Amino acid sequence: MSDNLVEVSDYLREPLILLNTAFKTSKELFTAINATALENGFVTDQFLPKIIKREATFPTGLQLEHRGIAIPHTDADTIKQEFVAVVVNDEPIVFSRMDDPEQTVGAKLVFVLGLNQPHAQLDMLQALMSIIQDDTLVNSLEHADNTDQIHELLSK
Amino acid sequence: MKKLNVLVACGAGIATSTVVMKKVEDLFAENNIDANLIQIKIAEAASKQDDADMLISTTVLPTEYRIPAIKAMGFLTGIGADKLKDEILTKVHEIQAQ
Repeated sequence: MSDNLVEVSDYLREPLILLNTAFKTSKELFTAINATALENGFVTDQFLPKIIKREATFPTGLQLEHRGIAIPHTDADTIKQEFVAVVVNDEPIVFSRMDDPEQTVGAKLVFVLGLNQPHAQLDMLQALMSIIQDDTLVNSLEHADNTDQIHELLSK
Repeated sequence: MKKLNVLVACGAGIATSTVVMKKVEDLFAENNIDANLIQIKIAEAASKQDDADMLISTTVLPTEYRIPAIKAMGFLTGIGADKLKDEILTKVHEIQAQ
């Protein structure tokens, strides 16, 4: 991962790192992310309806070896400034699986990807996929106490 | 040997397909497979399949396709990635043998 010029942490925006949240559903999570992202001018007013619809049609839950995570994202035209939002919820939130919407995963760790250049973020996305494949690292993210730790863990 | 046209799809054609594009590019390069990779949204797959030999997707497949379709979640999670590579290569060799 250290070979990558771009790190996931480069895409973190301080107000979009939410720790110890108590969202019950993905919709609650999206609503909270949208409120902050709108306020900061990161997204258009189409972001919330589109990400909810997109998650319903093409869900983003991923079943890892020991846990679920989710990487919700939506159309590029709703993103004004790119970001990766990190949410660590106290309890797992139900997401349908990307490869089989009939099945669900419980995700405590959610990365909301706000991306608007289809081919430009390969390094970041590869770094992110390496991160989610590292069980120890994902576990550390799930137990992070503050945003500095999240920054540090996502700079590796 | 015929040059393959391969569609690489995800829901929005923006995030996961970008990662899978790179993995498939590397896989094909390692195995000397000559192919055009085309990154699309899964919704475009039905209309683009006539000009393509194969579809590799990270989403659920919303319909049946006339071309072989492979789900490539393993490139994202790492689970079963080697098996997935074998599956893709086997399919490529089948298409090339036609």
